[in-house]
Amino acid sequence: MCRSKPVDTLKVRDAGDVEQVVRAALASEQPLEIIGHGGKRLIGQPMATNALLDLSALNAVTAYEPNELIITVQAGAPLADVLSLIDSRNQQFAFEPVNTSQLLGTPDTGTIGGMIGAGLAGPRRIRAGGARDHLLGAHAVSGFGDSFKAGGRVVKNVTGYDLCKLLAGSWGTLAVMTEVTLKVMPRPESERTLMLRGLDDITANRAMTAALGSPFDVSGAAHVPNSAFRAGAGALADPLADLGSPRDAVTLLRLEGITASAIHRAAALAAILAPFGTAEILPDAASAAVWSSIRDVQPFAANGSLGGWPVWRIVCPPASGGALGELLARDTGGEVIYDWGGGLIWAALPPKPDAQAALLRQRVDAVGGHATLIRASEQVRRDVDVFHPQQPGLAALGERVRHSFDPKNILNRGRMARGSAT
Amino acid sequence: MAIMMPASDQAVLARRDAIVAALRAIVPGEGVIDSAAEMLPYESDGLMAYRQPPMVVVLPDTTEQVSRVLKYCFEQGIKVVPRGAGTSLSGGALPLADGVLLGLGKFKRIREIDFDNRVVVTEPGVTNLAISQAVAHAGFYYAPDPSSQIACSIGGNVAENSGGVHCLKYGMTTNNVLGCEIVLISGEIIRVGGKAAETSGYDLMGIITGSEGLLGVITEVTVRILQKPETARALMVGFGEVEAAGECVARIIGAGIIPGGMEMMDKPAIHAAEAFVHAGYPLDVEALLIIELDGPGVEVDELIGRVEAIAQGCGSTTCRISTSETERNLFWAGRKAAFPAVGRISPDYLCMDGTIPRGALPKALARIRELSKKYDLRVANVFHAGDGNLHPLILYDANKPGEMERAEAFGADILRVCVELGGVLTGEHGVGIEKRDLMPEMFSEIDLNQQQRLKCAFDARGLLNPGKVFPTLHRCAELGRVHVHRGKLAFPELPRF
Repeated sequence: MCRSKPVDTLKVRDAGDVEQVVRAALASEQPLEIIGHGGKRLIGQPMATNALLDLSALNAVTAYEPNELIITVQAGAPLADVLSLIDSRNQQFAFEPVNTSQLLGTPDTGTIGGMIGAGLAGPRRIRAGGARDHLLGAHAVSGFGDSFKAGGRVVKNVTGYDLCKLLAGSWGTLAVMTEVTLKVMPRPESERTLMLRGLDDITANRAMTAALGSPFDVSGAAHVPNSAFRAGAGALADPLADLGSPRDAVTLLRLEGITASAIHRAAALAAILAPFGTAEILPDAASAAVWSSIRDVQPFAANGSLGGWPVWRIVCPPASGGALGELLARDTGGEVIYDWGGGLIWAALPPKPDAQAALLRQRVDAVGGHATLIRASEQVRRDVDVFHPQQPGLAALGERVRHSFDPKNILNRGRMARGSAT
Repeated sequence: MAIMMPASDQAVLARRDAIVAALRAIVPGEGVIDSAAEMLPYESDGLMAYRQPPMVVVLPDTTEQVSRVLKYCFEQGIKVVPRGAGTSLSGGALPLADGVLLGLGKFKRIREIDFDNRVVVTEPGVTNLAISQAVAHAGFYYAPDPSSQIACSIGGNVAENSGGVHCLKYGMTTNNVLGCEIVLISGEIIRVGGKAAETSGYDLMGIITGSEGLLGVITEVTVRILQKPETARALMVGFGEVEAAGECVARIIGAGIIPGGMEMMDKPAIHAAEAFVHAGYPLDVEALLIIELDGPGVEVDELIGRVEAIAQGCGSTTCRISTSETERNLFWAGRKAAFPAVGRISPDYLCMDGTIPRGALPKALARIRELSKKYDLRVANVFHAGDGNLHPLILYDANKPGEMERAEAFGADILRVCVELGGVLTGEHGVGIEKRDLMPEMFSEIDLNQQQRLKCAFDARGLLNPGKVFPTLHRCAELGRVHVHRGKLAFPELPRF
């Protein structure tokens, strides 16, 4: 099975090298694992690969044009470097890429390619969209060993199929991205977070629904229920814990923009939310700190009190979130955190051999959602469908799409589909 | 017709009567149209220079009928062209002589309005505007607003990934659609996504959006709806030089301001629009910007001030700021009527749709002016300046021999300029037949092959809307072949660890 042979690491220098490696892999029928810094290798079904295609040397910023709101970078460019570069021009990736290092207990690294391949978006997804909405163009090498171009370098483009959408969130199973063009957006001048205390999950869901149904352009809506386990919040300083007792439930609503506007909307939203309690207001730095904690799922950090529990990422219709999360917590004895106004639930469940997949997926299916097992041991990931099983017709179509990029299943073989890693 | 369509299948045409009868058995009553007179309205779409009667028109009204029609065509090897409201400006719904034209016009029902999840579930024949109207009483709207929004259908919007004036801030169709029900050519009904923010597995919704009717027939769509901004105000700013207007656009974006809309018109477009709607546009300027800021009043007022200062810094010669909804709508009236206004000053016009990097605007305009001289045809320019989407309107007279061909050649050259300046062939109208043969200007054969392989995953026999988007059709078996270069690929130069 996995890695029974010594693993070759092929550190490529350019797109030409990537073509060569993929063609050689085709010729020798040896599947490749595609990595940047390797921080997300723990996500997905265990793969059947015995060579690593390492893109970390493809790390240049090709072009950054702040006035065009775009940046073109090679796939192996360190995310942290790119973030600080665009930050220096008061810009950002509006979808708030999730940093999974604390959740997975991996080094704090990561590349642009990994960010797009995983496609994990943070709190602002409700307003700004996900990674897929910010990937304008890509150069990639398919499983045919051919470099191809997808999309372009402008925001508005409907020329041909939008292959970028497929690459985002494909976990390296369709093609090896070598260079991407991403949309960047202005960083808001200031932010305010309204915080309500003590709401149960269903009431908090209603409060978030009210906020997101208002005209106040809410850019984050999260709820952290009270916790029986998170006391102490682990070794890391968790800004959520600093908000008072970590056992208290907090509901958080973020407003961003020019200062006058953020202040105005915070007051107006507080009035709408009055039936749910009196909102406290967290200004800029305090607000930013709690949202990075929500984004990176810090309450479930690997070195925290729930670090040994498997973690699921559930995406569902937002108004169903509160009831679903409450039910899951009750039935499994686990803990949940809500983001996206209830549309994203992070669930840490007490360890079981199947990570409670059957029970969880039955509940999630019932509301039209889907669940991905983000953190679990290799054995559990081998035994459980990490990605949500789909209806047969949709699954077959997805497999034909994968096949159209990589017919010999050379790239990250088996990562997204259990049983195909052979 | 300058553009070659796939050769008609004579065997299919010979069976026309039997095909019509079989379709009637699936879609009873008036849902099957086969008389030449009644098929006339379906001969062309918004790209009216091209006309072709279909073999037969079918107007199903249930997903099951769509599925059975497609399954029948699949089994019989009959081509199918899907059609929404028929407003495509790129010929996406142009019929084929040996093809079934599958109209979705009877899918006119909004199935569900879900304010708590902020979505509308609708049939594809509902117009873009009708969705906004259905949720307006609760303060919501559907953000993408193509100029044809009164007429164009949401199914067509998904097929074309339609844009509009406000997509700079609120995104295109693809950024506002969550799920769909799609029927494959095999007749298989597939649901993709739903009310959740993301689909499971690969983002097939993202690939279906903008696929121009080549991948499947959409029978239901779930869209996101947004709360209307508290207020909106617009500035109308004139410049003595196009370059200054382009600079102004760049500086506004550079200052971190994303307006709800930012439109530019050049002198010929300003004059045509002003003569038509009397919006009070200044006639002595070379370029006019209409910049709309939306949000809370306090934010809009402050941003109006900042934008005004930037415009002055760029040498604006006139600046008016709307003080009422009436005035704001008046500013927009001329821009929104620009196409019909140009239609009044010329017997015919071609509307182009390339995108360029914002910064290349002045360069693009200069090149278009040169081309205008070369082809001896007038051109009026309107742009979605905020996102670099150009709509040059080429004025011509189809009654003058050769003039339409000259206009088309001029248009093709403009699109080549867009690609050369780092842009793309189409920003929101789609490739269709109009830009099909220009695809190699932007994509290599390898790029296009990969796109066609994806098509094979949905429609391996190439029966859905053939002749659109791709200049050369390949067999799926040929595209799927993997070429193994055994023995030649040791790459010893690669460092190994």
